Amino acid sequence: MRKQERRAWICLLLVMVLLAGIGLFGYRFVKSGGEWATFYGNTQIYTDGTINRGTITDRYGEELLKCTPDGFEYSDDYETRVATVHAVGDSQGNISDGAISVFKSQLIGYDILNGTYDATANGKKIALTIDANANRTAYEALAGRTGTVGVYNWKTGEVVCMVSTPTFDPAYEPDASADEESSYFFNNFLDGLLTPGSTFKLVTAAAVIENMPDRDSFTFDCDGVNKIGKGDDAKLTDVSAHGEVSFRDALAQSCNGAFGALTRELGSKTMSKYAKKAGLTEPVQVDSIETAAGSFDFPKDDKVKLSWAGIGQADDLVNPCAMMVYMGAIANGGEPVQPTLIKSATFIKELTGGKSLGRYIDSDTAAELKDMMKNNVVENYGEYNFEGMDMYAKSGTAEVGSWNPDAWFIGFTDDEDAPYAFVVWVKEGGFGAEAAAPIAARVIRALGSYGE
Amino acid sequence: MDNCRYRRTAIETLINEILTFSENNPQLAVHITTAFRWIFVVLAAYILLISIVSLLSTRATPEIWGYFMVEDGGNYPLTHWENVIGRSRSADIRIPLRTISNNHALLVRRSEDKWMIKDLGSSNGIKVNGYKLDPDKRYVISPGDLIEMGGTKSTISPPSIEETRNNRFMRRLDKEPVAPWKILLAITLFQLMTMVQLVLSMGTDMTATALISIVVLSAVMWAYVMIFNAMGRRGFEMEMIAFFLSTINLAVTASSDPGSVLKELIAILIGLALMIFMCVYMRDISRLRKLKPVLIGLSVIALIINLIFGTAKYGATNWIKIGESGSIQPSELVKLAFIVIGAGTLEELYEKKNTVVYAAFSLFCLGCLAMMSDFGTALIFFATYLVVSFLRSGDISRFILTGVAALAMGLIVLRFKPYIASRFDAWGHVWEAEFMDDLGYQQTRTMSFGAGGGLLGLGAGNGSLKYVGAANTDLVFGFVMEEWGFIIAVLAVLCIATLSVFAVMHIVAGRSTIYTILACSAATMFLVQTMLNVFGAIDLFPLTGVTFPFVSTGGTSLMTSWAMLAYFKAADMRRNASLAVRKED
Repeated sequence: MRKQERRAWICLLLVMVLLAGIGLFGYRFVKSGGEWATFYGNTQIYTDGTINRGTITDRYGEELLKCTPDGFEYSDDYETRVATVHAVGDSQGNISDGAISVFKSQLIGYDILNGTYDATANGKKIALTIDANANRTAYEALAGRTGTVGVYNWKTGEVVCMVSTPTFDPAYEPDASADEESSYFFNNFLDGLLTPGSTFKLVTAAAVIENMPDRDSFTFDCDGVNKIGKGDDAKLTDVSAHGEVSFRDALAQSCNGAFGALTRELGSKTMSKYAKKAGLTEPVQVDSIETAAGSFDFPKDDKVKLSWAGIGQADDLVNPCAMMVYMGAIANGGEPVQPTLIKSATFIKELTGGKSLGRYIDSDTAAELKDMMKNNVVENYGEYNFEGMDMYAKSGTAEVGSWNPDAWFIGFTDDEDAPYAFVVWVKEGGFGAEAAAPIAARVIRALGSYGE
Repeated sequence: MDNCRYRRTAIETLINEILTFSENNPQLAVHITTAFRWIFVVLAAYILLISIVSLLSTRATPEIWGYFMVEDGGNYPLTHWENVIGRSRSADIRIPLRTISNNHALLVRRSEDKWMIKDLGSSNGIKVNGYKLDPDKRYVISPGDLIEMGGTKSTISPPSIEETRNNRFMRRLDKEPVAPWKILLAITLFQLMTMVQLVLSMGTDMTATALISIVVLSAVMWAYVMIFNAMGRRGFEMEMIAFFLSTINLAVTASSDPGSVLKELIAILIGLALMIFMCVYMRDISRLRKLKPVLIGLSVIALIINLIFGTAKYGATNWIKIGESGSIQPSELVKLAFIVIGAGTLEELYEKKNTVVYAAFSLFCLGCLAMMSDFGTALIFFATYLVVSFLRSGDISRFILTGVAALAMGLIVLRFKPYIASRFDAWGHVWEAEFMDDLGYQQTRTMSFGAGGGLLGLGAGNGSLKYVGAANTDLVFGFVMEEWGFIIAVLAVLCIATLSVFAVMHIVAGRSTIYTILACSAATMFLVQTMLNVFGAIDLFPLTGVTFPFVSTGGTSLMTSWAMLAYFKAADMRRNASLAVRKED
């Protein structure tokens, strides 16, 4: 009988296989349980393919979307719906980065202990960081033009305003199949790739500060045409002749000639390095969303193209959210805070600050840039346009071959209660300082800390 | 008669009132469920862990049936009814002399003073009291007879009264199986709460009969334990596990198909009766041996009837309809016979004919199952055949060879049965867009709804997986995950694993290989069946459509699971634990 006793190990082998399988499944259950449970096939939480529970509000609790077994219930207010749809998402899933898809498992209230069990069957309430009122203001300020406005608190990382136009009314969703209309679903702020124009000079300026110790003695004589070689195209035209400008003046006047010269002095390698350091060539992680990543071409052997690339033209493409984060970097001493769209534990975030994205530029560089951006406001944009705000900014006017250039205005405020970094882009808006700056001022004022 | 009917109506009226009340008060129901989910998990963990720990921590001291005394060679206690004498390391009585063959003789206990000896074809033969034995013939000998083998002299001596007393004393010192009462109370509480939960979640969809069925199961459980406890039996862990899993079965059935709960209850009762009968019947080995040809005949008839009159369900033609709504699955019943036919006494294992009969019968069964397209069950039979042949012969090369041959056959089947092959396409890829709503539909739903249950479950009756086809049978693991939670689902799997480990652990004290093989082959069937069911549902293996022992809805399967328990009971050699073993003083 001893033989049979010994051979019985084979049954134990089967037990091991069974336990190993359960172990593997247990691991997957812990790892992917949330994904499985929120799969659209789960009719506990989906009715006719749409989530049937959960509420999305803005940062102050204003209800933006309520998911019910009878379908989605959006805000009653038309303007709120169209101004927040890119942040909230739509029932068809056409907006890929909407909270409805990104925060699905929080909305359902999935956790490993309770699964989708929900005593109230109403799901969870999740508060976004956006301020519905600021979004409405931004939508109004864009006034039917294509564009985007993004604002975030550069200390906590909370995105308080995110609007993208053209937009649509999610309560009466247009058909996704029509090509023309599908641009409604596109979120320019997260997914856009745009020519930055002169706003990019803040990147070139950072490279100058860190690489040219004799920058204070730099001067450039701007004749408005600024020929840099033979041929008709070998020039960096400016709106007008700036005359002799220093580095500081060049930024305030946004002198293309001067920045072209600086770019040529820095060279292609340094320019590439600083575009990367400014975080513009990598996607920005906003919760689980990845923004589009910008791209640049700084040719070694083409002085003209290199010069244009150094002033935000040529093949330069940036993502607005990444530009906003770069403003956050300058505001925060060179280390930007990661943006987030979901409001959680704000108290702790205010005490410790949000999650750092690491060092982009030296704190001395940031301080000098900050000073120069203040100078821009004082010298060029007019402080009276930003009354009550400690404003630091740079405008941009991107030539993209259309009848009117794209208008940019980026920067930040440095007030104790209002530390906001922002980006405003208006397609074919004209001059940045004229078209985009007032939008920034209006939205930041609407954010509430300026007594309005 | 009238009185009885009146009372029944009264109970139904009362229950209907409760059902209506709960349907009209959903908020109350939710609060109760929220609390109940925790209590269910705690109770289940208590019931199952106590039973599992008791099964795995108690070990029987082997009984001593006599001594084999070798002149100048010492005393060997005979701890089994069946012993091999030989030079081989694996011999039960090892005489390390070159004149002794590896497997020299077989010594089998017949009664207190009768032993059977058989020459296993040794080189130097055996003499008893000077008489030379013919090889391969049985001889009955008594203690005291002189046995000469390869120049050694030996004899069997019965254990002295003192030694017997000593051995019994030692066995009394063995850790006793856990007392069943607290577990019984816990299961009863679990059952009562299950009824309340089902009423809360299903309201008037729940039927009075379904609820009463749970009460009857509880009553039968108490009666069973009380009766056999009064008869001096002490080990009830396996039955506790089975009653617990059966409670889950009734709850799953009540949630998905309240009208079938009564049928499940009847299957449990028949299965329980069959188990008791088998336990008592199997106490006598000679009875068991005589039964084999009968079982072969019955199995062959059952499978042939199935082939002729079978009806198809989910692709496999493994059902026979009885009357209007009844149906049975003959292949499930054949499992019981298959185990007996594969088992054998040590003597039988040395007979070639016995092995050939088993192989032929296995081949017949596999052929029939293949013709029914019931490849899941065929796989279970085949795995059991492999394990049992290994236990019988110990031939690892043949084990591997048979496995490879089967794999080749399997590939041929896949070539000719595109329906089966397509399941392999989806295997491991069910979450890919191509499969998730098609061939992987059942698996993705199992995982999705199952994960939705979290660790604690949504509460019995609250699940939605039940609206997917075969949810309460093939996908029952996900069903239990959704309604009862991941913890209870995993505990159910651990129960099956425990039964198997227990069977292997207790071989040491086994009396005959026939019990050892019965238990190991029942363990293999349970294990493979559980693996195919669970792994199939969660995409660790292609979905084959077999049942989870005890838990899946399905009368024949449930009945068979209960009857199979007898094979585990027969391996339980703890003192007075099992009703499959005659009582000790």
